[in-house]
Amino acid sequence: MSSRTDFSKDKAFLIDMTKCTGCRGCQVACKQWNQLEAEKTEFFTGEGYQNPPAMSEFTFTRIKFRDYEKNGQNEFAFYKEMCMHCDEPACASVCPVGAFLKTPEGPVIYRADRCIGCRFCMIACPFGVPKYEWSKGLPLVRKCTGCYSRVKEGLKPACATTCPTAITYGPRDEMIKEAENRLAKHPDKYIHKVYGKEEAGGTSVIYLTNLPFDELGFKPVTMRPLPGYTWQALRLVPAAFLTVGGGLSAISWINHRKDRLKKEREEAAAAEGKNSACCAPTEPASEDKED
Amino acid sequence: MTAAKYVVNEIKGYHGFIKFLIFLVVLAAVASLARFVFGLGATTNMNDTYPWGLWISFDVVTAVPLAAGAFTLGAIVHCFNIKRLEPLVRPAIVTGFLGYSLVCVGLILDLGQPHKGWQVLRYWNLHSPMFEVSMCVMAYTTVLFLEFLSPVAEKFGWHLPLRVLRWLEMPLVIAAAAISTLHQSSLGTFFLIAVDKLHSLWYNPLLPLLFWVSAICSGMCIIIIEATSCHKWMGQPNEGELLRTLAKILPWTLSLYIALRIYSLLVLSEGPFFDFPVLTLSFALELGVGFILPMIMFTQKSVREDDRRRVIAASLVVFGLVLNRFNVSMFGMMDPNQLYYPSIVESLVTTGIIAGHILFFVLIAKYFPIFEHHPETVDYS
Amino acid sequence: MTNHWNDIQHADVILCIGSNPAENHPISFKYVEKAMDNGAKLISVDPRYTRTSSKSDIYAQLRPGTDIAFIGGMINYVLQNDLIQKDYVVDYTNASFLIDDGFDFNDGIFSGYNAETFTYAKDSWKYKTDKDGMALRDKTLQDPRCVYQLMKKHYSRYTPALVCEITGTAIQDYMAVIRTFCSTGSPDKVATIMYAMGTTQHTYGTQNVRIYAMLQLLLGNIGMAGGGINALRGEANVQGSTDYAFLYHILPGYLKVPDFNHVDYATFLDQTTPKSSDPNSANWWSNTPKYMTSLLKAFWGDAATEKNDFCYDYLAKKSGNYSFIHLMERLRAGGFEGLFCMGTNPVVGGPDASSIADGLGKLKWMVAADLWETETSIFWKRPGVDPKTIDTEVFLLPAASSVEKMGSISNSGRWAQWRYKAVNPPGHAESDAFIVDQMFKRIKALYEKGGVFPEPIVNLSWDYGNGHEPDIEMVAKECNGTFLRDVEIKGKRYKKGEQVPSFALLQDDGSTKSGNWLYCGSYTEEGNMMQRRGLEDPTGLEMYHNWAWCWPVNRRILYNRASVDLNGKPLNPKKVVIAWNAVTRKWEGDVPDGGWAPMSEDGTKNPFIMLPEGYGRLFSAGLNDGPMPEHYEPMESPVANMMSGQQTNPAVSVLGKLCNSEKFPYVGTTYRVSEHWQAGAMTRNLPWLVELVPDMFVELSEQLAEWKGLKNGDMVTISTERGSIEARALITSRIKPLRVSGRMVEQVGLPWHFGYAGLAKGGSANVLTMAVGCANSTIPEYKAFLCNIEKGGDVA
Ligand SMILES: Nc1nc2c(c(=O)[nH]1)N[C@H]1C(S)=C(S)[C@@H](COP(=O)(O)OP(=O)(O)OC[C@H]3O[C@@H](n4cnc5c(=O)[nH]c(N)nc54)[C@H](O)[C@@H]3O)O[C@H]1N2
Ligand SMILES: Nc1nc2c(c(=O)[nH]1)N[C@H]1C(S)=C(S)[C@@H](COP(=O)(O)OP(=O)(O)OC[C@H]3O[C@@H](n4cnc5c(=O)[nH]c(N)nc54)[C@H](O)[C@@H]3O)O[C@H]1N2
Ligand code: SF4
Ligand code: SF4
Ligand code: SF4
Ligand code: SF4
Ligand code: SF4
Ligand SMILES: [Mo]
Repeated sequence: MSSRTDFSKDKAFLIDMTKCTGCRGCQVACKQWNQLEAEKTEFFTGEGYQNPPAMSEFTFTRIKFRDYEKNGQNEFAFYKEMCMHCDEPACASVCPVGAFLKTPEGPVIYRADRCIGCRFCMIACPFGVPKYEWSKGLPLVRKCTGCYSRVKEGLKPACATTCPTAITYGPRDEMIKEAENRLAKHPDKYIHKVYGKEEAGGTSVIYLTNLPFDELGFKPVTMRPLPGYTWQALRLVPAAFLTVGGGLSAISWINHRKDRLKKEREEAAAAEGKNSACCAPTEPASEDKED
Repeated sequence: MTAAKYVVNEIKGYHGFIKFLIFLVVLAAVASLARFVFGLGATTNMNDTYPWGLWISFDVVTAVPLAAGAFTLGAIVHCFNIKRLEPLVRPAIVTGFLGYSLVCVGLILDLGQPHKGWQVLRYWNLHSPMFEVSMCVMAYTTVLFLEFLSPVAEKFGWHLPLRVLRWLEMPLVIAAAAISTLHQSSLGTFFLIAVDKLHSLWYNPLLPLLFWVSAICSGMCIIIIEATSCHKWMGQPNEGELLRTLAKILPWTLSLYIALRIYSLLVLSEGPFFDFPVLTLSFALELGVGFILPMIMFTQKSVREDDRRRVIAASLVVFGLVLNRFNVSMFGMMDPNQLYYPSIVESLVTTGIIAGHILFFVLIAKYFPIFEHHPETVDYS
Repeated sequence: MTNHWNDIQHADVILCIGSNPAENHPISFKYVEKAMDNGAKLISVDPRYTRTSSKSDIYAQLRPGTDIAFIGGMINYVLQNDLIQKDYVVDYTNASFLIDDGFDFNDGIFSGYNAETFTYAKDSWKYKTDKDGMALRDKTLQDPRCVYQLMKKHYSRYTPALVCEITGTAIQDYMAVIRTFCSTGSPDKVATIMYAMGTTQHTYGTQNVRIYAMLQLLLGNIGMAGGGINALRGEANVQGSTDYAFLYHILPGYLKVPDFNHVDYATFLDQTTPKSSDPNSANWWSNTPKYMTSLLKAFWGDAATEKNDFCYDYLAKKSGNYSFIHLMERLRAGGFEGLFCMGTNPVVGGPDASSIADGLGKLKWMVAADLWETETSIFWKRPGVDPKTIDTEVFLLPAASSVEKMGSISNSGRWAQWRYKAVNPPGHAESDAFIVDQMFKRIKALYEKGGVFPEPIVNLSWDYGNGHEPDIEMVAKECNGTFLRDVEIKGKRYKKGEQVPSFALLQDDGSTKSGNWLYCGSYTEEGNMMQRRGLEDPTGLEMYHNWAWCWPVNRRILYNRASVDLNGKPLNPKKVVIAWNAVTRKWEGDVPDGGWAPMSEDGTKNPFIMLPEGYGRLFSAGLNDGPMPEHYEPMESPVANMMSGQQTNPAVSVLGKLCNSEKFPYVGTTYRVSEHWQAGAMTRNLPWLVELVPDMFVELSEQLAEWKGLKNGDMVTISTERGSIEARALITSRIKPLRVSGRMVEQVGLPWHFGYAGLAKGGSANVLTMAVGCANSTIPEYKAFLCNIEKGGDVA
């Protein structure tokens, strides 16, 4: 696990949905760069022209369409789903074999050679990003790679490169600054929120929109980094181990000593009918707590 | 006659119920084969919305606490030195050992890359409760195996190993207790990460502690049920005397659990609690029928003394635990507009695992001295 | 485009009307949004709420085919409220010109109409002139016969109320559009219009474009940075192919194709070269003889001499209309023996598509040169047809795609950009150049053995190297033009074989050749200008004069001399296209529309140099269907024309098989989606795109769905007199019924990308459309027709 605290220089996506035309160049570019199979779709799976039905082992990013009327006004909105490349990824923290890695460049990558396929990452990810190769006998996990192979060579991700309008890619602090500038410059045009600045403790994908986030289908997420939630319990493991282990040892030592003394006393009594009572001092159980 | 013939005849001799169990186990074996041939997607109802299904919820999250009898009793008998309960220890250890072995089987089926499972030992991730649990389960299974060796050794009268094992007994018991504490609670830690997914009736920071305490309770209850049924169906002596002692301990542990549970709800979690009637009901059943009711029952002498009532109370606790584990690992995370229910294959495997458990217990009991064990009287020196 | 893609970012108001750039020109939206970031307002006027509309500040819905009413109302508003840019209108447009007293208009018909032939005699559509032919003007714009007053009168009928009654637009939306757009009449405010097929694919498509242009002239938005009237062209190189004469009536560089009655070269030149007696008129087309002769020299080289009229006789003369629709009629009538389809898929793309497929069966042979097997190339085994009944022999030539060959493409901004070959063509695929080259060489060989009138073929100069395929660089050089002998022009000597630096130097004496005068300057002695990739931007307006090359003479904004006042001072100092430097006595900035001094000085020329009078035309005799656009209903319409008694365009003959609105109550229109390309061969064969839009669908309103009992995704049958197809119903509030002449009219929208070949198959919208075209361009009326919709599919 990376124990970094400064993510400001990580590469991040600024996705401005007020600028997204729903052209889906990103969706195709992603499939092309990652050589992902096309999915067999029928008609449209959702509002507008939405396809495929969801992100999957074959689809790392998808444009979600909203097509509805709101007090007489048409809303035709597009929202790009992808891995959020969290600063402190839940997927990475729960993986028993550390298959996920938050790279210094920003992308959270997945190392298939380590993965044992337990799917804990899928439970953990607050954005429901990791997907599973359900079609296979020995499945692996699949998700947006952040185009690490491109990024570490100094290129932009395929989707960001293709996008004519909506995606800006660069250092996280600059992206956040740019986002805040836009909010300041066109306050009437946006919901006043930089999504991803704090969500899940901060992500490398940052959204601006003109529609309420829940209307776009964003799920509520905590503002705390998720790994913390488990760590606050896991860090007590050594303590618990020593307490229980030490405690029980002590107790049993005392108890067995009691018997022994009892035996001896009986024998002694049997020997000279005399009985000299003595009490044994009891040491307190060792209770050394530490993190 | 050849071994094969011998085995066949032997089986021919078995009681119909046992044959039925064997049948179930074979079915499960076939189902498991299907899982590898056709893949998880085709054979289970798991999908990207439900990455974990029946196998994790029962075969792992539930089976582990149900097998907690061994360490609990071990501790009670050896550490708290309540020697009277000694006779219950061995059956408990056997149950534990079986339980954990089958957990491993369940895991192997559920993992996408079982052949790589060992890599947990290679790439450590101390931040992963899953890593913690895997390590413990492996360690504990070994411990149980060692403990389980004694009856085996006795049967074949190996003296040296026995002496070693006898000498190891205390350390093993303590190790068992400590390790179990860790992974029983870490199973709860699993779900601490599901902060925005698990319903607030069940999500709270005390999950690990709650899992541990409830595991101890159910562990003891399983012993009660087990001993009682051994007496009823396997013609073993009635251990009612000893079970009464256990029943005396239970009200304490149960009330501790209930107290913690209520505290965690009132103080540590914020609502909404009762937004889904189904969940509310499930919660009421779990806590009310599964824990509070049996707690009250166990406070009654009439219940503790009476074999039937005692076993009913115990069963209620087991019910409560099972429901709790399902609430946490499945129901509490359901997506209302896309429900999950196990597929045939999933169900067959799980029933097979339960059947297997009983089957092997009976067979082991049949061939190994797990009941006639009274160490005080025997002397190997 | 008068301007270019990058320039859109300089607009203060962007009107997308009859276009859907977010979906069909995605990259252009980069500049639209750049403008919006700087405070520009985006207006989308479309029958459907599109992905472009979703980004717009103002959206106005209109009924297909009512753009003239819509814009006419805006012109009326501008004139009634005097929002015009006065000086601009007086100095640079023909608003002040007096019109012949014979000109008249009543009840939808202009003077000179002949109802038998559906044609106009245009002799009354002309300026009043003095004795030496100079047009009379009234710069006060008060004379009742001046264009300004005639316009004002004509469009006074287009009141907001009546307009909205016709277009079905909500009045408040319409007024919002008007107020925003017409606020750009001041010099420091500029609006641009982005239009495309929603505008042109009508029986009065050309008039639609004209009325946009008139509005822009009145507001002084032509020639300005961020202004102009911008056609978002289609295929990546459709601009280039138009420049290179892929329409039947033009030769390269928009020279006219000789008519039957242009009996010799002299007559041709005399009748096709515009004349002007105005000394201030550049009248650029007066150079026609130079360009034409240079073209003929390029065609027939040494065989073309002064004595033989430079082989003018070799040119085919047209004796009628050879546009697509007419060709298809003739095809159906069995008028052709063979057909060459190079990069076209008419069975999906052409109007009344089934009848085209039938027509193909009448051919002896057909050649399809394409990247894919298209509906056209397998027409003989199309659904419901027994191949045994078709004798046509079909050849499929695998073609190399644009990235598999070198050459230039000209984008909508007229930028000719050189492309390199990225990969080799797969299998036996060959470039079109190779295919044409081989065809020619073999045909020539046959003619050399004899035949009727072999000279045009055997004498054709065809000198593109001896490689496997023609050397494209050599082709490009010939298009630019070369000196054929040593000459001296204005004291400067040019050697034989030198590249001609600019079309100003092309000659009519046979001393120069040029395959396309417009591209003269694209490949000079300095090299291939189209290959340049310079990023210098001295003007700061992202014109990038050293990036590639654009016609004419690398001028990035046409009519840019209208962007300055009479003294050459920029009208909008914030966005200077060109400016007159009084010291150097030179223009600075973009390449000016002719280097003459500003209008205030003598020896100057009027800014609209391509027109004889040199003024932007608010009144024009150029078109066949009237000097000023007038609203008519589409050929098929659910309502009577509320503007006049003339139902449809008088210059278009009404054909037989029309849908009537009782049987076919719904207005249908066709369009594109980002995810598919045209007739679909290029996208319906790509799984990644098929995944996105897998089936033919029809967009319809929630009200219609309810009325027909439809759920989203249900199969429906859409039918017209031409035929019927199946599609999945996409029910959306983005399509709304319109209130037209007091009743609700339902409209449905169909993408036209589908067909029976390829990976993703589906009904072709063109089975429904009607083969009737624009009075001027004969582009089919793809965008407005009547149809019916029924639940369930029964077509198979
Ligand atoms: N993705 C994609 N891009 C393309 C193409 C493609 O096939 N796919 N084709 C290319 C080609 S060849 C061309 S010509 C261009 C065409 O580009 P566009 O003209 O933008 O394409 P269309 O979708 O046919 O028509 C544009 C809009 O006109 C609207 N419309 C229909 N009738 C009317 C009307 O009467 N008045 C008005 N104001 N609007 C109307 C339609 O609803 C549609 O939204 O696109 C080019 N770009
Ligand atoms: N209903 C309706 N009909 C319409 C329209 C509409 O808006 N509505 N739009 C009209 C418009 S604007 C247009 S431009 C036409 C287009 O109609 P078409 O031009 O017939 O349709 P395309 O699919 O563009 O055909 C191009 C073909 O050329 C092939 N091709 C691509 N590159 C090459 C190459 O380098 N060499 C060769 N030889 N072949 C190549 C492609 O595979 C494709 O099959 O459709 C018209 N039809
Ligand atoms: S979004 Fe999910 S998968 Fe992506 S980095 Fe965050 S936790 Fe991991
Ligand atoms: S499925 Fe693989 S990547 Fe995900 S947590 Fe388990 S081992 Fe890690
Ligand atoms: S970053 Fe790369 S992998 Fe992720 S969505 Fe974009 S293109 Fe796909
Ligand atoms: S490429 Fe950009 S504009 Fe197009 S859909 Fe994706 S994010 Fe939106
Ligand atoms: S498809 Fe090609 S030509 Fe059309 S917008 Fe995209 S990049 Fe430009
Ligand atoms: Mo086009």
